[in-house]
Amino acid sequence: MRSPFAYVPRRGPLQLASPGAAVAYLGAIVAVAFLYSNPLVLVAAGAAATLAGLLAGARRAVRAGLRLGLSLALLMVVVNALVTSRGETVLARLGDWPLLGRVDVTLEAIVAGLSYGLVAAASIVAFAVYSACVDPDRVLRALRPLAGRSALTATLVSRLVPVAAADAGRLRDAAALRGPGAAAVGKGPLARRLLAGSLDRAVDVAATLELRGYSLDAPRARNRRARSRYDRRFYAVAALVLVTAIAGKFLGADDFQTYPSIEIGLGPATITMAAVVLLSGLAPLSHGPKSRTANADGPNSPTWRDKSARRQRGGDGSARRRVRRREVARV
Amino acid sequence: MSELAIRRGAAPALAVEGLSYSYPHASTRALEDVSLEVAPGEFVLLAGRSASGKSTLLKAACGLVPHFHGGEIEGEVRVADLDALATGPGELAAAVGYLAQDPETQVVSTTVAAEIELPLEMRGDAPTDRARAVEEVALALAIPHLLDRATDTLSGGELQRVALAAALVTRPRLILLDEPTSQLDPVAGDELIWLLRRLNEEWGVAVLLAEHRLERCLAAADRVVAMEAGAVGFDGVPADFLEWSHRNDPALSTPAARLFSLAGLTPLPVGVRDARQTLRGTGVAHPPHIASRRVRDPRPQAPVLESKGLWVELDQGEEAKDVLRGIDLQLRPGERVALMGRNGAGKSTFLRTAAGLHQPVAGKIAVDSIALLTQNPGDYLVRERVGDELPGEQGLGALRTVGLEHAIDVDPRDLSGGERQRLALAITLAGRMEGEQPPGVVALDEPTRGMDRARKDNLVALIERLAASVAFPHQEYGKATRGTAVVVATHDVEFASEFAERVVLLGDGVVIADGPMAEILSGGWYFATEVARVLDLPGVVTPEQGAAALKGEAG
Repeated sequence: MRSPFAYVPRRGPLQLASPGAAVAYLGAIVAVAFLYSNPLVLVAAGAAATLAGLLAGARRAVRAGLRLGLSLALLMVVVNALVTSRGETVLARLGDWPLLGRVDVTLEAIVAGLSYGLVAAASIVAFAVYSACVDPDRVLRALRPLAGRSALTATLVSRLVPVAAADAGRLRDAAALRGPGAAAVGKGPLARRLLAGSLDRAVDVAATLELRGYSLDAPRARNRRARSRYDRRFYAVAALVLVTAIAGKFLGADDFQTYPSIEIGLGPATITMAAVVLLSGLAPLSHGPKSRTANADGPNSPTWRDKSARRQRGGDGSARRRVRRREVARV
Repeated sequence: MSELAIRRGAAPALAVEGLSYSYPHASTRALEDVSLEVAPGEFVLLAGRSASGKSTLLKAACGLVPHFHGGEIEGEVRVADLDALATGPGELAAAVGYLAQDPETQVVSTTVAAEIELPLEMRGDAPTDRARAVEEVALALAIPHLLDRATDTLSGGELQRVALAAALVTRPRLILLDEPTSQLDPVAGDELIWLLRRLNEEWGVAVLLAEHRLERCLAAADRVVAMEAGAVGFDGVPADFLEWSHRNDPALSTPAARLFSLAGLTPLPVGVRDARQTLRGTGVAHPPHIASRRVRDPRPQAPVLESKGLWVELDQGEEAKDVLRGIDLQLRPGERVALMGRNGAGKSTFLRTAAGLHQPVAGKIAVDSIALLTQNPGDYLVRERVGDELPGEQGLGALRTVGLEHAIDVDPRDLSGGERQRLALAITLAGRMEGEQPPGVVALDEPTRGMDRARKDNLVALIERLAASVAFPHQEYGKATRGTAVVVATHDVEFASEFAERVVLLGDGVVIADGPMAEILSGGWYFATEVARVLDLPGVVTPEQGAAALKGEAG
């Protein structure tokens, strides 16, 4: 099964933009998340990253990013509530805990944790969208003339990760299929076997890179790709967001205080800042006729054929699952 | 020599002179005084048993040996007049393309288009030149629809084509292929061989192809080079190779050649068309018809595996897909069943579901007790002593079942490929046996990948012993009363004809044929043995049956 964060080639503006433009755009959203602590702006940054991902067709990546980000946010809220006793509004006194000492849960600590959590969640969603929408090959090749060895290492690693993941899946299956009379596979031997296999795979991948000419001197001038027609849009949005963010900092848009009591600024500067950041999420919107998804929904893709076949069969997996559930219920 | 001269093919595509090579820390030489020449536009088949030096020779021809692997080398290798010992693989890539056995490690980019474009980008070609070259090679290999796909969503056959496209995009004068069909079904395998032949004829690309299943590609080859223990044992045209292999190494002989040899016919045929022409010429074009005998089920016992309306759905990327669609199947004790079908037909999924690795979304599957050996036996070997993998009496019993009890103190890495496979099988059997009796079902998933015929024969013997539940000759056990059902998912039609008594053919997750082996493997075109394609007689699939039919002895 593919990782939800794996790059999926599509013909959307974000995928077609040059890596620099895409990085500038998503980086501006992340920069806002790190520059601001006002929850309204942070929620707007997270929503912008989510919107950008959805418009770019990276639904799975956004879903997985939100799951991960919100889980992390929740963890930060809990940890901050337990380790920080500052704040005027005490919600619970939990007495003395080993290592932590006296634990008083305050509303202010919870809100501060939530603020940190929102930074993490917005950043994770933005990185998820980057991972699913920006072709890593283009990034690595852009880096190659600047840092050849690092690009080679990154290329090797980026190829080895899915290969090692597939190997790990196979080893897990083999461990599950061992007879009950065979020695159980401990984590140590399994890890050693995976490592040894990965080294063999690394040699094969490195040999392929060698054959593709990766050891040749990195070409420079003739290797520049044509810029995408969307680059200007993403650079402009990134610049707008960053300029507004910096100006907003000076104009008090980040008015937010947690200790000793909570004060959230919701003045015009904050609302304008939040609106600009939120609207920046519309940048990947495509103007033209609905673009055909090259991979997932193209007429030659297995997915497309599956859907077609399902329509012909008059059912899909979920329908059968429902039937099965009914059968189970009857039993 | 100028690039123009190289392009026009003035120099041999490959010239090897007195080449000897040993891998680092190896005690024996992998190549021993090898000399051969491949002319521009020639299609050469590299035959030989496992570990005879085929792969090493291909690696020497593309520069990986010695530049990448190290080791000691003597002699001379020239590729399109470039000195391969002085020039690195990257520079040689303009003159030679290389396609290894495992397509998974041969793609290094995220998308197909980027993968094909990479060699051109690395040598600094202009974007317009790259775009044209990618388009042309994609059209030549019939993969333009794959260009925008992510490489990790491709099937094995598609990956193999993409890797071939990346090897061909620089328009090399020579293409080297190391068992490229070993992971492909008969349809995709045949397509690849004839694609190579077309590229060879239309583009003038010289081809050096290492392959075990010679019946697939002998007819396409201009010449055969047979390797024996690192040296060239034979170098000549296919017809002479068949005579040579018949005399010196029958394991390299093709089924059609064995058919003719057993029937006392000459000359030995290099392919199906050749065999039919010879048969017409000798007046035995219509050998007596053997009536297909319906095999009555001799075993009324209860099934050891039974699936009813089995549906399995797998999430293979963006969306779940139905891989099995209502499979009804029964296996009875002692049956030897070949599970066949194209890549992605659902063979492995069926076996994995039977072993409990996948859960059905509808229907049910009931199994008495099953031991499944998946495609890579190495995945089961995690310790450094056979006895540590299989401790105790149960382990010893499993080792005895596969005939490996003598190797209890050996490091699994020191075992041969066939022995490692048997050890992995023993690991799956341990604890699932009742005394010396193997479990109800033993399932093998693509066990013959990369195997030569000698190893396949050993595997056939093991399968027959398991199915009959009899001991190895030197052992004393064998009191079992019930046979084990052995089911093997395989693409190898000739192997299936050797071991199976029943063939189940899957197509897109449904059973499209199920019957006696001889009937199924003689009733089609792709899923038919070479002998069946030569004689086109119902029920005649092996050289022995064919020879009997030609002599008029059967019926």
